[in-house]
Amino acid sequence: MDPVQPTGENYANPKTCFFHVLFKAAALAFYILSAIFIDSFVIIFVVTVFLAALDFWVVKNVSGRILVGLRWWNEIDEQGESVWKFECLDQESLARMNKKDSWLFWWTLYLTAVAWIFLGIFSLIRFQADYLLVVGVCLTLSIANIVGFTKCRKDAKKQIQQFATQTIASRFTSSLQSAFSVV
Amino acid sequence: MSHADTIPFHSSSQSDIDEIENLINSDALSATVSAARPPSPPRASFSSAALPPPYQKVPRSSSLPLPPPPVTPSAAAPRPGGGVAADGFGSPPDTLTEPVLDTVKRDLTRIVSNLKLVVFPNPFREDPGKALRDWDLWGPFFFIIFLGLTLSWSASVKKSEVFAVAFAVLAAGAVILTLNVLLLGGRIIFFQSLSLLGYCLFPLDIGALICSLKNNVVIKIVVASITLAWSSWAAYPFMSAAVDPRRKALALYPVFLMYVSVGFLIVAID
Repeated sequence: MDPVQPTGENYANPKTCFFHVLFKAAALAFYILSAIFIDSFVIIFVVTVFLAALDFWVVKNVSGRILVGLRWWNEIDEQGESVWKFECLDQESLARMNKKDSWLFWWTLYLTAVAWIFLGIFSLIRFQADYLLVVGVCLTLSIANIVGFTKCRKDAKKQIQQFATQTIASRFTSSLQSAFSVV
Repeated sequence: MSHADTIPFHSSSQSDIDEIENLINSDALSATVSAARPPSPPRASFSSAALPPPYQKVPRSSSLPLPPPPVTPSAAAPRPGGGVAADGFGSPPDTLTEPVLDTVKRDLTRIVSNLKLVVFPNPFREDPGKALRDWDLWGPFFFIIFLGLTLSWSASVKKSEVFAVAFAVLAAGAVILTLNVLLLGGRIIFFQSLSLLGYCLFPLDIGALICSLKNNVVIKIVVASITLAWSSWAAYPFMSAAVDPRRKALALYPVFLMYVSVGFLIVAID
């Protein structure tokens, strides 16, 4: 999955984009089509949840970093407190991120969650509690990723703003200093 | 989700954390660009294994300079802070391009080490309340699925219901038990506790596997009781460390009850 030099026109990381979409689509497709072909609920459950878990891992660890330059995780510090850490690329790398890549990333993230919600409503209507369980697990995983990356993006924007104001302030003071030193 | 660790694999993520601290503490006044910093020693071996792609060689001239390394947590292995790359993203040249296999290996290593920490007797284990800091939910996920599959496989009828019930009971049970500890005024982190209860299912997995192979009721009862005692023993230090000593029993009894009910499931399935 080596990222290719971004062209600005096409997808910069086609392989990563492919994998990003692959597991999501596979989980949804398997769940929808399995009702026709497969009798055993256990197989449907295990395969769908496994694909959803793989997708979660791929998005969190691989495509998040490569496609949008964001990363989030949780740590427990020395005091035993839980800390959520958000990380982003510095501003210039963020600006250099391929637009198509990030468009694909965010849209597929949201669309999958919406799709699972629809499927959940269907199984609710049909009073199928066990299928609701599957949908519930997959939905939880999608939402966890959405929340994590959205918070990460907000954090990144905040940091960029802070950095920008700091730079402006520092430039201002340094130019003031140089003006005064000349005098 | 890795924490201070002596395993070299984790140092890459740990240096990310330093990188973040640098990002936050960075002094934008000094416009000096730090020259290519030598990678911290544990990372040198790691980075040599990863192929640096051409993309990473773009000079990051305006990237944030790295201030003196922040003090690392005392439990961490000594490590020069600051990570590797000067581009503020922690370790992209290495973990960004690390082969997927490496990430998988790192996660698997963490699962195994957590398992050893929680389930097996370990006289050198540090304070149990802090031991499972490096929590992850992959281990518990695999164990729950495995338990459900084993129970379902050994059931002769209603396989799907058995699986669904086992999974739902274990998952909901873990959540409720965690809430129980929190409501009792215990100090435990939600995911840490979920992770712990999941790992403690490992002995029951073994028990279910053995019981699925032998159909003798007496053997099943013996195996189930031994494994549920083992599970409860494994969960005991963490749970009791988290709550007030007067409320230990209140926190531990439901855990024991849940494992007993799983034990019954194992024995009753034929």
